[in-house]
Amino acid sequence: MAKILIIDDDPDIVEGMKVVLESKQHQISVAPNGKEGLKKVKEERPDLIILDVMMTTINEGFEVARDIKKHQKTKDIPILMVTAIRDRTGLDFKGEAGDKDWLPVDDYCDKPLKPRELIRKVEQLLSKK
Amino acid sequence: MEDLNPCTGLVERLFWLIRLRWIAAAGVLLTIFLIGQVFKFQLPFFPLYIVVIFLVVSNILYIRLLDRFASVCKIFEPAMADSESFGIINGIANAQITLDMLALAALIHFSGGIENPFIFYSIFHMIIASILLSRRESFLQATFASALFIVVVALEYLGALPHYCLKGFILVDLHRNLTYIGGIFFVFVTTLYIAVYMATSISIRLRQRERSLRQTNELLKERDRAKSEYVLRVSHDIKEDLAAIQSCLEPVEVGITGALNPKQLDLIQRAVQRTTKLLFFVKALLEITRIKLSKEIKIDYFSFKEIVSEAIEQVSQKAAAKNISLVFSVEPSIDRIRGAREYLREMIANLLANSVKYTPREGRISVSVADKGNSILLQIKDTGIGIPKDELPKVFDEFYRASNAKEIERDGTGLGLSIAKQVIERHKGKIWVESEQGNGSTFYIMLPK
Repeated sequence: MAKILIIDDDPDIVEGMKVVLESKQHQISVAPNGKEGLKKVKEERPDLIILDVMMTTINEGFEVARDIKKHQKTKDIPILMVTAIRDRTGLDFKGEAGDKDWLPVDDYCDKPLKPRELIRKVEQLLSKK
Repeated sequence: MEDLNPCTGLVERLFWLIRLRWIAAAGVLLTIFLIGQVFKFQLPFFPLYIVVIFLVVSNILYIRLLDRFASVCKIFEPAMADSESFGIINGIANAQITLDMLALAALIHFSGGIENPFIFYSIFHMIIASILLSRRESFLQATFASALFIVVVALEYLGALPHYCLKGFILVDLHRNLTYIGGIFFVFVTTLYIAVYMATSISIRLRQRERSLRQTNELLKERDRAKSEYVLRVSHDIKEDLAAIQSCLEPVEVGITGALNPKQLDLIQRAVQRTTKLLFFVKALLEITRIKLSKEIKIDYFSFKEIVSEAIEQVSQKAAAKNISLVFSVEPSIDRIRGAREYLREMIANLLANSVKYTPREGRISVSVADKGNSILLQIKDTGIGIPKDELPKVFDEFYRASNAKEIERDGTGLGLSIAKQVIERHKGKIWVESEQGNGSTFYIMLPK
């Protein structure tokens, strides 16, 4: 059982993921934007962060990720980036994944994520920690 | 696609003029030879050959010059095309015609002056000027030709320039016959001006049509772009909603929210299937729209053999499940090529997935890559259901699916091959298919290295 923070502005996606992760007895908290997300990261010290890219701005998620990885106390929290951004920006994540400064996340995947896939990725990141 | 840039249009016409000049030089050479060897006229052949050499050398220089400006044109098109480089190339065109007329005047002078009927070949320069230049410039060239006529004939008349009589062709020496000179001059000048008037009337109209065609073409491109952007926005929004719907349906489907009775499960599964299908379609639509809208794609060097192997690997399981044998051969000289690696790999994998989908059990798919010098030829040959002959031209159209393909698989976006075509065209390559219903299909992709 782990504390997982979902930072995403789409309440329905959040609800879907929450149901899946709660079935594995994880404790879920939610933030609808980057600002509140960062606040909750500092207050709650989650074991894992699931982060959306496009929220208030088109790349808010990137900024949030950089902020989390910048601070000593939060930099070890794994981040799973969940996104549909490739469609709008044409960014190819595959080529950039190795560049930690550009995209400082531990794993990423396209929306929507199948329940089994979500569970698998989360377990993987938690066990790595 | 046809290039309607006015600058490259003029360059193209100048290259046409250069080709004409080769023919002219060869014709002059042959004529001089015939006059000297067959008709045995007594003319100063040395200066005549010098003029031919001048034509040849100047033509080579023009080619050099144009090659340089043609590349400038391509780099800066279309922004610079209308202004600076167009002015330069227009200047080159004017200079060429003027120099050609000087060359003709020299030839005429050394071969009889006013007595030489080839004097009327100036009309060709007028027609060429009318095609290449503005009306005003063309009339200026006609005036220049007339002035040149007067100067040469007058100097010969006054004895300031020697006169080479065309003995054997004419009966009496005509270069001092004022009536004859006046008559020829009148006909010569009116011929040139009328020719310029007629030819420019036509070419101005053609140029106007070309311009309006260019404008329409640009407008269409812009409209198409606006349409694509609209499609991109709409399908992206649809995709977001679909993703949310799936995120809510799937936990229920896999039983996370508790066991479902068979009827509930069946209905939920149907719903998931339909959203999955729709999501797949929207993703393909996004993909093709994105390729269309992207100004440039990320290009690097990579091993072509590697991406084909990877694409084969991607479909190998599905092929094995149907007992389809997959054969792959590459000519050893195939090495790295330039292109967008991921796009190409995904596209080849898509074509292979198609082949696997439409090839019956125990079939065979052979993939080969051949070296064709500047390009490579990829061939994907299957023993599948093939494509009906009358549908062959349509298979690369967006949303088109062959009738027999629909029978085998109800769901399909009809976008796979149009995506492939877009990707290949962005690489300046070519894709085509040969097929016969019931007898398999062969897809060919020609890619520049």
